[in-house]
Amino acid sequence: MDELFQALAQGLLIGSTYGLLALGMGLIYSVSGIVNFSHGDFVSLGMYLCFALFSALALDPYVSLAVTLPAMLIIGAVVCRYLIAPVAEAHSLMVVQLTLGISLALQNLILMVFGGQPHRVPSVVEAKLVMIGNVVMRMPHVVAFVASLALATALFIVLRSTDVGRAIRAVHQNARAAALMGIDVGRVKIGTFAVGIGLLAIAGALLAPGTPIMPSMGLRYTVITLLALVLGGMTNFLGIMVAGVIIGVSEAMGMIYLSDTLGMILPYAVFVLIVLFRPEGILGQSRG
Amino acid sequence: MNPELFRTLRSPYLWIGLVAVALLPLALPNYYLHIATLTLVYIALASSWNIVGGIAGQLSLAHSLFVGTGGMLASALLLKMGVNMWAGMAIAAAVSAALGAAIAWLDFRFRLGHLTFALITLAFAEMAEIVVIGWEFLGGASGLFLPKDTGQFTQFQFGGVQGSFWIMLTLAVIAIGVNLVVLNAPLGYYLRSIRDNENAAQAIGVGLLGNKIKAMVISAVLTSIIGTAYARYLTFADPYLLASPVLTIEIVLFATVGGLGRAFGPALGALLLVPLGEVLRGKLGGVLPGLHYFIYGATVIAVIMLSPRGLLPVLQSWFTGKSAKPANSAPAKSH
Repeated sequence: MDELFQALAQGLLIGSTYGLLALGMGLIYSVSGIVNFSHGDFVSLGMYLCFALFSALALDPYVSLAVTLPAMLIIGAVVCRYLIAPVAEAHSLMVVQLTLGISLALQNLILMVFGGQPHRVPSVVEAKLVMIGNVVMRMPHVVAFVASLALATALFIVLRSTDVGRAIRAVHQNARAAALMGIDVGRVKIGTFAVGIGLLAIAGALLAPGTPIMPSMGLRYTVITLLALVLGGMTNFLGIMVAGVIIGVSEAMGMIYLSDTLGMILPYAVFVLIVLFRPEGILGQSRG
Repeated sequence: MNPELFRTLRSPYLWIGLVAVALLPLALPNYYLHIATLTLVYIALASSWNIVGGIAGQLSLAHSLFVGTGGMLASALLLKMGVNMWAGMAIAAAVSAALGAAIAWLDFRFRLGHLTFALITLAFAEMAEIVVIGWEFLGGASGLFLPKDTGQFTQFQFGGVQGSFWIMLTLAVIAIGVNLVVLNAPLGYYLRSIRDNENAAQAIGVGLLGNKIKAMVISAVLTSIIGTAYARYLTFADPYLLASPVLTIEIVLFATVGGLGRAFGPALGALLLVPLGEVLRGKLGGVLPGLHYFIYGATVIAVIMLSPRGLLPVLQSWFTGKSAKPANSAPAKSH
């Protein structure tokens, strides 16, 4: 029984961060209809920025957010304004290839700058453990869980009850009508892209302590994000968070109960099953 | 025979070029011949992918599944069960065909749409890599070493660098040839109509499921056979190369750089980028690992920004002095 609770707890903690990753992508998708295949490489960029600040100034990853968050917001805005927006206007189907190109370029830029060997970004809380009953949780995971939930809640509130959020939802529902109401659609798209990438700076800092980082890990994060995004129903933000947790829990269950390979496949198997039986996503409305 | 296909086949430049390429092994030193062979591998792979990704407009990211099946399964059958590699190649191709048909069926059954199709095929590819690396029969993480190539044709051995070059050339020519035939056959017109507007295609009586399955199966079988030959050429079936989704991404980017949906487009992309990447890797790989991938990525970004239909139309307009006709081109936009 302890094993089960242990797996559930670990999956819940990690899964909430996956949810946060996918929330960034879902935000971008719902406003611009863009699926960013370089998402995971921006996660690794966030983590490598933490690593650089740690090696240079011995900053804790949580502290280095003060630098990495603005940096990633700016990078996100620049990438969207100068690379993605011009292509998305004219050739919407080419955006997939474009973001694949960005993924390959970014991953190998990181490889050239930092080298291929795994690095670690330690944090002061890294070794601390939290015990609830017999369930042991690592402190960085608890921090990540709390921060992810807080951020997701903040995002919901912003979307629901601020003018910025209303503008974003308006563009999501009908970009042309939103433009007629005086919303600068281009700016909203660039803004949400920047926020989506900025969220990755936070997710990167949350994931960094205790996780060895490698340039090649980006693709895996992209795939996990895509799993959560599709499971959650692409634009249903609550669904995306829940889907992230489902992926996290099935990953943890697989690690504990099954062999290595089967365990790693379990999240994908769960994903394929759910998508086949509920193609509209776990919380989506049935198409009838 | 379709007149356009006939005109392409009758072009003297095509045959002169082909003969010149076929004579390369007599002139090139081994290192450059290796690069030329690799280029042919990627020309063949990108051209095979083009049938699904370019002509039919289905952005499949699952093609590493077929390369992996061709390379790893045929090698495993030879080493673990003593199956002749020609038979192994055929078995792997049949398995790839079945996998491809299943993916096409899923796409049709659940009307996935372009983006979801790309996402789900990427998830399949990632899953396949985990399976290959975790399954001892397919070599696991350490891969499979094939016996030394002694040039016995009946054992799927082609005698080192030169023989492999000719095999790869044959496969590349077949892949491009299949593209030409498909483009000029009814299937090609059906696939392009599906690519440009699925609902309209269905409304005028183009069957979605059958045509999508045909495209995917043709592409999967070609890709799988190339995968087997590639593993044989490397004498080492490396799961981190053959079954990795990165391989698919490379292929997609080559095809995009050259020009999607055209018979010679993907070949052009691979022809330009692979030698560049390999030479750079040879010269600077020790100092700057990943530089060639960075350049592939940067090139595709630049090409999409500047000439989204790829480089082939640009080249054509240089040679003919007028802009290329858009009949075979990729869709300019779709909303």
